[in-house]
Amino acid sequence: MHAHRLTRGGAWLVAGWLASGAAVSLGGEEPRKNFVSCPIIRDTASVPCWLAEYEGELYFLTLQSDVTAPVTPPWLGHRVLVEGTVSAEPRICGGVVLKPVHLSVIAEPDASCNTMLPAEARYNLTFEPPRPPGPSKGRLAFDNGPSAPPAPTSSTRAFVVPYDFDGLVGFNHARVLTEILDFARAVNAAEVEIEGYRGAARLSNGQTMVEDATIGKRRAEQVAMLLQGANLKSPSYKVRWHDEPASATGIDDYLSRRAVVTVRPR
Amino acid sequence: MAGLALCGCLLLALAAQAASGASRAWWAPGQGTPLPAFTAYDNEQGQLGLLNASGELDTRGHPFFEAIGTNGRACVTCHQPADAMTLSVRSIRERWTATSGKDPLFAAVDGMNCPNLPADDPRSHSLLLDRGLFRIALPWPPRNADGTRIDPEFTIEAVRDPSGCNTNAAYGLQSANPTISVFRRPRPVANTKYTTHQNFGVGPFIGKNGMPSATDPVTGRPTSMNLMADARTPTLATQAEDAARNHLQITGTLSAAQLARITEFERQVYVAQVSSTGAGSLVEPDGPPAFGPRNLLAGDAGVLGNNTTRYVFPLAGKWVQLPRTNNEADNARNAARESIARGHDVFMFRTFWIKDSMHLNSVGLGNPVKRTCATCHGMHMTGMDTANGWMDIGTTNLPWASEVPLNPWNDAKPQMPLFRITCKPGVKPHPFLGRVIYTQDPGRALISGQCNDVGTIVMEQFRGLAARAPYFSNGSAATLRELVDFYDRRYNIGYSELEKQDLVNFLGAL
Repeated sequence: MHAHRLTRGGAWLVAGWLASGAAVSLGGEEPRKNFVSCPIIRDTASVPCWLAEYEGELYFLTLQSDVTAPVTPPWLGHRVLVEGTVSAEPRICGGVVLKPVHLSVIAEPDASCNTMLPAEARYNLTFEPPRPPGPSKGRLAFDNGPSAPPAPTSSTRAFVVPYDFDGLVGFNHARVLTEILDFARAVNAAEVEIEGYRGAARLSNGQTMVEDATIGKRRAEQVAMLLQGANLKSPSYKVRWHDEPASATGIDDYLSRRAVVTVRPR
Repeated sequence: MAGLALCGCLLLALAAQAASGASRAWWAPGQGTPLPAFTAYDNEQGQLGLLNASGELDTRGHPFFEAIGTNGRACVTCHQPADAMTLSVRSIRERWTATSGKDPLFAAVDGMNCPNLPADDPRSHSLLLDRGLFRIALPWPPRNADGTRIDPEFTIEAVRDPSGCNTNAAYGLQSANPTISVFRRPRPVANTKYTTHQNFGVGPFIGKNGMPSATDPVTGRPTSMNLMADARTPTLATQAEDAARNHLQITGTLSAAQLARITEFERQVYVAQVSSTGAGSLVEPDGPPAFGPRNLLAGDAGVLGNNTTRYVFPLAGKWVQLPRTNNEADNARNAARESIARGHDVFMFRTFWIKDSMHLNSVGLGNPVKRTCATCHGMHMTGMDTANGWMDIGTTNLPWASEVPLNPWNDAKPQMPLFRITCKPGVKPHPFLGRVIYTQDPGRALISGQCNDVGTIVMEQFRGLAARAPYFSNGSAATLRELVDFYDRRYNIGYSELEKQDLVNFLGAL
């Protein structure tokens, strides 16, 4: 395995929270709401809603559904980083709808995040949820479709592995890892190049959250380890990473939390 | 005519005898009797049915039934037909009494709390006699499949060691070969097309954490990793090799022919309850298709249960409301059947808040999630997890694990070891238990070395429960009622008394 660091992190870049000292305009046509808060769960007559408060407003994050959902609910006992766009949809469970929204559970426990609200008739859903609270109705909640077919064997293909804030591989990565593995086997890959990135998130209060200083390295090395652990051992591996975080703008900053895996055929 | 009638009665009687078996006799290694195509074994809640799908088995010379190791045990010693191909604590105690503790079942290697203890003293075997637990000795730190050492994410120390084994100079963590002893129940070696399926949820990467799945060393295919409590061996063959080495103390290794015969037997044997003391036959031709070993043989393996096409345990609407007559016995039977049907509905549809359970709340459902028993126990026909099934529901981790309250008015003492796990700096804390975790059995973490796996145990199939108490991997629930009560406490469910009894009756019918 060949590994090296692409850039050195500056002295001012330490993992965690950095205050810019000034509020910023997040720009864009749609109002963005990026904040860290305790999640709140509100029961309904069917499935629970997940909400969060920010600056005196209640926001709707997502519904309980199943593992196929594009947005998976946060956890009580932990704060959550919310990166969302205010939608014009009617309120759900009393909350302003953020859609699309990206949620990252903050790893350190926070026992103060423990609010469970009982069901109230006024907050019952006005639509059928994608998945009932009991067993499924014979299907998963969301149809993610089959995996993409392998590209022509002569071409190089790049895969993006997305992450939660400060996250490594978790339950939702089996699919993309399998796609990479299947493609590499189909093209008898000569080389797998993995590039790990370190992200940052601009919050609506002007602060910037920067991921752990070593996260780019750890992401790249972990993906290499997992592919090799799945017995993809014949290609040569190039493992690279970025120590400097991406510049955060408050617009789709979640895209900066990634690894890019490029598979080159033999 | 009279002769015909007599003959008919005799045939019926013989048929009844063959069908019932009516015996719980211990199956000794090398006894050489054939294992019929179908046998029914008595238990306290009715009868268990054992089906050899390939027909009657000649056990003479069969490596599953012969003492092929050095300690006199066979596979069948701990996988008794009458006990749903595992071992009930009732059978263990009966065997102790019958042999004064001389049976190979009580071998020092794992049938004692620690091999250094006096063999004739029942206190040396207390975990086996009281809770049906065998000692599982695992190397620390853990090893990869290729034997290389895993750098664990946590440190471990034994803070309570009633068996003395974890602190013993020869067998413990500080020994020449550092070893951790945990104590677990054996699992049923039956219905294995479900425990080894290659269907939904099985892929090259584990759906709960993205790590590579363990593969079959012969085929290279990923496995469901649902065979053992800690998923340390991926296939029936590797499990047999592990068991022969560690439980039978075999010299050398199993031959290819022995492995083939053992796994061939294990692939065709099915067990399930076939009759209930209250509800009568569970396998009448027009009865619910969930019950009995023949339905297990016919079922689809590795399928996620739902409430339209494949219920986890399909009752097909039977027994929901049955008629009452002037016949008290029929009425009692029908009431018991209705209780089973209600218990099924509690299992499938009664929602409650599932909270802080690693590898359930952490895999995209949120914490907490309002769901039902069938959310985790979702595999059609067995109630296992279809995907790699280790979870922490608190059976071994504090604060939920059953512990003896220590106070001056209580003479009882804790039986289980207690380990303190400390996640190393630089490793994310366990999301629900923090950086320091106390556990009776670290479970999957002893194999993976990962903090998030501490106390996670692969869930077991629900079949033959009536024949094989106690329950949970650490035998902490002596009865099905205690099992239901554990869930009620752990998740603050608030079951009514009727719901509890219905659930117990349903589980006992499986």
